[in-house]
Amino acid sequence: MRWLPARLGLLARVTFIYAFGAMLLSSTVALATFGLAQRNLVSAFEEAAQEQTFRNARILLDTLPSEEQLAEFAQSVQDLDATGDQEIELINPSRAALDALFTPNEAQVLFIRGDGEEYSYDIESRALPADLRSMVVSAGNGEMRFSQPTGEVVYGIGLALPSHNVSYYEVAPMGDLATTLGSLRVILIGVSITASFAGALLGYYSARKALSPVAEIAAAAEAIAEGDFEARLSPSADPDLGRLSSSFNEMVDALRIRIERDERFTSDVSHELRSPLMTLSASIAVLEGRRDELPEPAQQAVTLLGQDVQRFQGLVEDLLEISRLDVGAATLDLTPLVLSQFLSAVVGNSRTPEVPVAIDPRFPDLIIAADKRRLAQVFSNLLENARKYAAGATQIGYRVVGRKVQITVEDAGPGVPPEDRLRVFDRFTRSKRDAGRRDLAMGVGLGLSLVSEHIRLHGGQVWISDRVDGRQGARFVIEIPIGDMSNFDEEMAT
Amino acid sequence: MSAALSGTMLAVGTRILTVEDDGRIRQAVKLALEDEGWEVDEAETGEVALERFKAQESDVVLIDIMLPGVDGFEVCRSIRRISDVPVIMVTARNDTHDIVAGLEAGADDYLTKPFAPKELSARIRALLRRARASEHGSLERIVIGDLEISPEEGMVLKAGAELHLTKTEFKLLVELASQPGKVFSREVLLERVWGYDYFGDGRLVDVHVRRLRTKVETDPSSPRYVVTSRGLGYKLQP
Repeated sequence: MRWLPARLGLLARVTFIYAFGAMLLSSTVALATFGLAQRNLVSAFEEAAQEQTFRNARILLDTLPSEEQLAEFAQSVQDLDATGDQEIELINPSRAALDALFTPNEAQVLFIRGDGEEYSYDIESRALPADLRSMVVSAGNGEMRFSQPTGEVVYGIGLALPSHNVSYYEVAPMGDLATTLGSLRVILIGVSITASFAGALLGYYSARKALSPVAEIAAAAEAIAEGDFEARLSPSADPDLGRLSSSFNEMVDALRIRIERDERFTSDVSHELRSPLMTLSASIAVLEGRRDELPEPAQQAVTLLGQDVQRFQGLVEDLLEISRLDVGAATLDLTPLVLSQFLSAVVGNSRTPEVPVAIDPRFPDLIIAADKRRLAQVFSNLLENARKYAAGATQIGYRVVGRKVQITVEDAGPGVPPEDRLRVFDRFTRSKRDAGRRDLAMGVGLGLSLVSEHIRLHGGQVWISDRVDGRQGARFVIEIPIGDMSNFDEEMAT
Repeated sequence: MSAALSGTMLAVGTRILTVEDDGRIRQAVKLALEDEGWEVDEAETGEVALERFKAQESDVVLIDIMLPGVDGFEVCRSIRRISDVPVIMVTARNDTHDIVAGLEAGADDYLTKPFAPKELSARIRALLRRARASEHGSLERIVIGDLEISPEEGMVLKAGAELHLTKTEFKLLVELASQPGKVFSREVLLERVWGYDYFGDGRLVDVHVRRLRTKVETDPSSPRYVVTSRGLGYKLQP
């Protein structure tokens, strides 16, 4: 079914095909039925009309007046005209013959005598088609369907009665037949439409039934994507589906084992790296506490050691953070934050505590649901980034946009060229100006990628734009959902 | 008197029990803590730690969660059954599950490895200060419903019966009771009860509130006293 638009779902397509098939089948059957019925009804009608005509012709043969009777009648008429008596009505034997005819099908009857005189109550010879008359004259009988001037379709039969030199015609109306056929047509059309709908319904249900394993797989796959590795397909007795569900389940098992191994590895590495760092950190604290007792070169060495252990510690923390995010082991600890307080605290805690905080005047007390630790890392990284590359942020502020909040960090540095605006969020990307500057002030290149990962975990996004006031500088925009505090409180209450 | 000196004064004679299976870490931490003036007892396993603690009660216990045999959570629960001594958990990673489980096992605070010994000293001092403040507090007796809080004696009665709160739970309750009906944000409680700045972990407050409720509330699932205030924090319902 290539011709069906592919954007229609499988279910819709199967339903459509079923409906189309049912319509094709039912309308074919209906058309055949109608044709057959029509032919049968018409021929039955015609046969009945012909039989009746023959019956009536036989009656006419008995009742039509002979030449003598006609002459006698003509004489009587002449005699009566002579007396002028109006009271006496003579019975025309030809008309009497007409009265003797029996037409239960309400056919119009007409006979024409050899002298051209016509006898009928309701039809004239000129209403008969010329073909019919010539057939009767030449072949002795004729029959044909024709339309009357009123539009009514009638069936005309003509017979020559040579013994009396008379042509006899019956014209039977086909109106009842048309009505019957009309009703039949309506019924058949109705049946076709119903059958098409039934087909569509059947198609829909059978397709849904057939596709239900697909829906089940989709639901399971979604659950797995959200981290639920307990999701499994129920084993199916159907051999076709059984293989699918068992291989799907095996895949989930393999995936789970792999992710668990990754998580365990992360956790093991975490432990293994933190233990020596703990010893280092505690030992350096002892050295630093006794700095005064050390000779000058040793003091310098302790300073270097302390700074680099701290740097190493930061790098390990960031790497572990990233790897937890990578294996999907990171979880959000949502807590309500008064955003203005939070931003002021982040700025106050940073190395540039004088950066002004611009609050949204419409929502000065805005509370958002966020992970305080992660969000604090996001903004301290952005402030630190601005300090390193742009001599500090010029402003940090927020603005409510619908159900989200945009938090911006602006600086007056050289800005970020458009081609680098995505790349800076990659891991270990540094500014070109860092080339050759390998001192402590240099970042390890994970700061901005962590920013983007934390924000993604919050269901938000981060991007860089030019400053809106047109001045030179970069503008980092964080957009995150404000979050639903009511859910949070219910959780807290339990 | 300088701050460092006053810290050292506080440290003198204060016994800290550190439970840590890694000998190098144990040694380095002991060195650093002793350099700050604390007296340090060591235990390499949970079993040894419980023995030592039963033999001589410490002033502060520092427990590493990842221990062979009896794990840190179990050591904490065992200590809690016999003492309200301040307990600090040490976790190897910033994992919600470990942190919340540690707090629910009865820890007063936690630190993530690797921590600076100065930070540990600050935490210990905060825990001890609070414990001592509640011993020599100047607050008057507070009666709310069937709760009777006596900051002086460090005692809480519920319907006349004494409740066994840890020192941190008690301090939290006294803080909330100092202004009944006033909503305290997590940040304010972190600062007043634990001595943290704005960036302290709100889960400390949440888990301690939960623990407090199981003790002071008749039905902890629908609290009458310690009430959550929509998005803002907690209050003590007068």
